Amino acid sequence: MVRLFFLLLPGLIPSWEFFKAIEPSPRVQWRLFSVPLEDGEGWNEFRPRPQRLSLLTILRRLFWNPRWNDSLYLVSLSERLMLNPTQHSVDEIFDRLNFYVSAPDPVEEGPLNLQFRLIFVRREGEQIAESITYMSEPRIYRGRT
Amino acid sequence: MTLDAAFRATEVLIALAFLQQSAEFMLRSGVERAIFAVRIVACLTLLFGAQTELALLVLVVISLWMLHRFQGPHNGGSDRMSLLILWCLTLAQWMPTLFWQEVIFGYLAFQLTLSYFISGRVKIVNPEWRSGRALRDVFAFSAYPVSENLRQLSKRPRLLWAASWAVILFEVVFPLALLNQTLLIAALCIGASFHLSNAIFFGLNRFVWIWVAAYPSLLWFEGRVFGDVF
Repeated sequence: MVRLFFLLLPGLIPSWEFFKAIEPSPRVQWRLFSVPLEDGEGWNEFRPRPQRLSLLTILRRLFWNPRWNDSLYLVSLSERLMLNPTQHSVDEIFDRLNFYVSAPDPVEEGPLNLQFRLIFVRREGEQIAESITYMSEPRIYRGRT
Repeated sequence: MTLDAAFRATEVLIALAFLQQSAEFMLRSGVERAIFAVRIVACLTLLFGAQTELALLVLVVISLWMLHRFQGPHNGGSDRMSLLILWCLTLAQWMPTLFWQEVIFGYLAFQLTLSYFISGRVKIVNPEWRSGRALRDVFAFSAYPVSENLRQLSKRPRLLWAASWAVILFEVVFPLALLNQTLLIAALCIGASFHLSNAIFFGLNRFVWIWVAAYPSLLWFEGRVFGDVF
C-alpha cells in the first residue's frame, strides 16, 4: 500500500517538467540464439521506426496507436532500468520481446535463447554517440505463450 | 461555464480519452485484457451518464491496479494527467458541500495551468532550449520522432529555434489567458493544436485527448474566479 501511495502521488501532485533537458535516449536491441554468440553478434533493433509515414497513417495514429505507445512504455522501462533497476522492468521487456519477436525456422542445436541489451544515444559536442548500458542475461525464448 | 456543465463535459471527454487508451490495451491478453474490458464498460457508462458515480469509482480502482501493474505510469505524462483528472472529478463529485467540490475542481484547473507554465519555465531557464539546441536534439536522437525522415528536421536550426521560442512563450504566458474568457478560449485552441502537433511529430496521441479533457475545468475556473473581476 505504501508503494502504491508513492506511485500515485506524482499523478496527484505532478511536476510537469516536460523535456527539462534532453537526456540520452534508449534503444532496445534483441537477439535469438541456440549456440553462444560473441558479445557484438546477432543484434537487431526492436521496432525500428519507419523511414516515412503517410498522412493517412498519421491520422489513424491519432486514434489507434498501440504499438507506438507500447514502445514509449519500453523507453520508460529502459530508463527505469538505468535509474532504479527492478525485476519488473526486465520481465516487462522480455514479455514484449517474446510476444513480438518471431522465431526463425526450427534449429537443431537446442532451445532458443532470447537476450536484450540497451543502447543509449546521446550528443557529444556535435556528434551523436552510442553506448551499451545494459545487457540482460539470456532467457529461454517462449514466443507468444 | 457552470460547475455542473464542467463536470459533465469532463466526464464525457475523459470517458472518450479512456476509451481510446483502453481499446489499445485490448491487444494484450489474459487478466490485463479483461480488466481493460471492464474499463471500457465503465467508460461507456460514464459517457452515457448512467451511474456516473459508480463508473468513476470503478475507474479509480482500475487506475490503482494500473499503477501496480506497470509500477508507475504506462504512458508518462498522459497517464499522470489521466490520474489527476479522474481523481479530482471523482473526489469532487463525492464531496458533501459545494465549497469542497469547487476547491477540488479548482485544483484540477490550477494544475492544468501549471502543466503549461512549469513546462515553459524549465525551458526558458535552459540555454539549450533558448538556442533551439534542445529541440534539435529531440529530432536528432530522441526516441520520439515517428519516422526517420523527421530526423532531417534537426538540420534546420532556424526553424527549430523559432519553434522552440513559440512553445516557450505560449507556455510561460498561458496563465495570463485566465484574465479573459475570449483569450482563454484562444489559448486553449493553441494548446490543443500544440498537443496535436506533438501527436503528429512524436506519436503522443494520448496527450491530445487527455489534456483537452481537462479544459472544461479551466473554462469553469476562469468564470468562477475572474469572471466578475474583469
